Amino acid sequence: MNRFGRITHTAPIVHLIALIVLAALLMAGLAGTEFALSRYLANAIGQLAAFAVLAISLDLIWGYLGILSLGHGLFFALGGYLMAMYLLKHSFEITGTVPDFLQFMGWKEFPFYWDGFEFFPYALAAAVVITTLISGLFGYVSFRSRVGGVYFAIITQALVYVAMLLMFRNDTGFGGNNGMTGFTVLFGWPMGTSGMITALAVASLLVLAGVLAGCNWLVRSRFGALMLATRDDETRLRTMGYETLRLKLIVWCLSALIAMLAGMLYVPQVGIINPRVLSPELSLEIAVWVAIGGRGHLVGAVIGALLVNAVKFWLSFAAPEIWPFILSGLIVLVVLVFPNGLMDLAKFKLVRPMGAKRLAADMGEARP
Amino acid sequence: MNLTRLTVVVAGLLAALLAAPTARAQGLDRAGLIANLCGNAGAMGEAAAVLTGLAMSGDAADRAFAVPLARAVIDRKLACDDAGAVLTESGLDAVTRAPRAAAGEPRTPVLSLKNRATYEQVDAALALRAAPEAAQRAAALKTLERRPALIPEGLLDAAAASEPDAGLKADIETLAQTAALTAADPAARIRALARIADNPSRRALTQVSALTADPAYAASPEFRAAVDEATARIGRGIAVGDVLATAYNGLSFASILFMAAIGLAIIFGLMGVINLAQGELIMIGAYVTWLVQQGLRVVAPSLLDWYLVLAIPIAFVVTAAIGIALEASLLRHLYKRPLMSLLATWAVSLFLMNLVRVVFGTQNLQFETPFYVTGGVPVIGDFIFTWNRMFAIAFAVVTLALTWGLVRRTPFGLNIRAVTQNRDMAACIGIPTRRVDMMAFGLGSGLAGLAGLALSPIYSVNPQMGQNFIIDAFMVVVLGGVGTIAGTVVAALGIGQINVLIEPLWGAVAAKVIVLLMIIAFLQWRPEGLFAVKGRRK
Repeated sequence: MNRFGRITHTAPIVHLIALIVLAALLMAGLAGTEFALSRYLANAIGQLAAFAVLAISLDLIWGYLGILSLGHGLFFALGGYLMAMYLLKHSFEITGTVPDFLQFMGWKEFPFYWDGFEFFPYALAAAVVITTLISGLFGYVSFRSRVGGVYFAIITQALVYVAMLLMFRNDTGFGGNNGMTGFTVLFGWPMGTSGMITALAVASLLVLAGVLAGCNWLVRSRFGALMLATRDDETRLRTMGYETLRLKLIVWCLSALIAMLAGMLYVPQVGIINPRVLSPELSLEIAVWVAIGGRGHLVGAVIGALLVNAVKFWLSFAAPEIWPFILSGLIVLVVLVFPNGLMDLAKFKLVRPMGAKRLAADMGEARP
Repeated sequence: MNLTRLTVVVAGLLAALLAAPTARAQGLDRAGLIANLCGNAGAMGEAAAVLTGLAMSGDAADRAFAVPLARAVIDRKLACDDAGAVLTESGLDAVTRAPRAAAGEPRTPVLSLKNRATYEQVDAALALRAAPEAAQRAAALKTLERRPALIPEGLLDAAAASEPDAGLKADIETLAQTAALTAADPAARIRALARIADNPSRRALTQVSALTADPAYAASPEFRAAVDEATARIGRGIAVGDVLATAYNGLSFASILFMAAIGLAIIFGLMGVINLAQGELIMIGAYVTWLVQQGLRVVAPSLLDWYLVLAIPIAFVVTAAIGIALEASLLRHLYKRPLMSLLATWAVSLFLMNLVRVVFGTQNLQFETPFYVTGGVPVIGDFIFTWNRMFAIAFAVVTLALTWGLVRRTPFGLNIRAVTQNRDMAACIGIPTRRVDMMAFGLGSGLAGLAGLALSPIYSVNPQMGQNFIIDAFMVVVLGGVGTIAGTVVAALGIGQINVLIEPLWGAVAAKVIVLLMIIAFLQWRPEGLFAVKGRRK
């Protein structure tokens, strides 16, 4: 660590990015040959990559800024819903498939706010603008009145909960409790084919690598140093004349946008989006991935998301009812024994030292 | 002298009162009545009038005497002879009710077409007043309903007054209103309108507003005025009732919110920890209540009705013990890391919810409803003062009083307040802060258990129930401010009322959205909540 408390060893994250890119290239190269991954495995890898992007988004504000959001599912769902709107409208334009929810509500045509969603650039722009607006507005009013710590966490939780209740309504024109499903075409290509599944997984891996590289650059920059300073002693930084409101707002909006991106990658791969994505449990789980992987380490967030979700994928077949018990056990273990998650294993020499000395246990968490 | 006079007057009045029933009993000429029943159509009409009078105002003995008569005439089971008449079915003399056979050549009186309807009506009226079984009285009421215009005024009111069965009583009152409104006499109808307007309800409004189509509405200005007046009064009554009902529901919701939030607020103020498992502690409180009920069913079925009361200490102790164990094993290590304590308490919440799901299943639990939380008192309009909600409200008030007393008036409360205000200074003067933390966590958890008990008569109880209250409870804590009882009370009342107020207008979801937006806006103005202790911003 240097004097900013930043990790100066560059090796692990570079290795990880290289590994991800390599995996993506391999998957792309082997597609169609006999060495290609099964459809299920390719799909799982793509979903895991989307979750890893989501974990990075939370790590950016929690690990590097000390702000815990228990409502990041909101931005994930925003990306997911707007992507689903594009997919449905696009599928409708090409194949004429009328979405289930329109038939269910007995509506003859799409509501007016669906106009234009058949163009992907428009959908992407809408997603960026709406996410920035919502996160910016909420962040501004919260940070301006210096709501932080536990207060901020439970207000974000209430936000995602309220959004879930809203989306469960059937009359909003967003699919109601059944959500949106039945996507058939993406960018003019039919969905559900091996080629499409591989392409989506490769794209997710590449986005993950890109986000990882970008965030790595950000947290190592001068701006990143200010983020850590804000996390560790905001009052001192303000006293020295730095405006932390703008800084926090920028990182918060950036984090929301990354979460939105994860949602846009996620939805075409699972083929459905419904309000359960907005449940407070999912948002809490994101925090658990980050905590298990290690807050304040981009590598940790990725590994945490991959590990927890891989176990969850596997258990959802083997023994779905014991998963909550395992998850709660893992959390207690991490919270009590490994405050920095897997990064603490480094001190037992169980894994190669990743350059992280154990951070102070109370890192960035002032009492409210 | 004046005194003597007064005494005489009072004595006279008393004598008159005492004599009245006897006089009336003597007034009924039983033999004459039977003679009329055996007489011609005119005499039978007179007899019917006498019987109707008995149904309305006669004394019980006379009514019991009269009950079989109308039926006997209708069924032609009355044999008239020279000595009077015999009820052939039972073989009793109609007047004396002594067993005897009809003498000579008995004659059975035949009802004219007009009288037959009257007698059916009279028989039903008598049965309504005097039949021993509720089912018989209900059948009689059905008969009366067929010709509401023929029901003598006052009969139904008298019947309603003496009716022990609540459901039947309500039916009688409804019919009384309908009957009075369709009466032939316009004055009676106007009186009936005034009476209906005294008890406003949506049903009364439909009844009265239907009268605008009545020919009398156009013809008689008095009647029209009475109808308009009654409509207006009922409308006002309904509006008042709706307001009261909303306030009452809001109050009961606020009570539950308060019970859920007060524990959270104490713990948050003391340790800066938000207990995400509070919802599950509420759920466990409800499950303990259910277990107490099941236990009583086996051990002491006679006490089953009192399970809600008996469960109070048990629910408190069980959830408080869970809370203390939680604090000692987990949260003790996390005081410097409040965000991690959020995750840890969420893990506990997940664990408890799934444990209960595995052990008890996911279905809603079935609760007995003891008599003290059954039914309610209709007040005005559609507002019914229901006892189950009153139970929650009273429970919350008692809890508030006890918690307040505990925090403000006991050494333990003094310690809690000292540690809340300044932990280090409290430790310096010898307050065992760790023990205070543990006990306070137990207190907060126990209060959650009591919340679970209080809401079990109103809401459904299942493993997920905690999730429905927890986010509202957090909002109460955020709005009320850290660790103040007054803030929690005001915030719970506010959020409860606003929720219930908006719900009928735009739905439950809109209510939640608006409440959240209002809280976020409010935090702009007072970031530390309503009743934050003044001081340096931390």
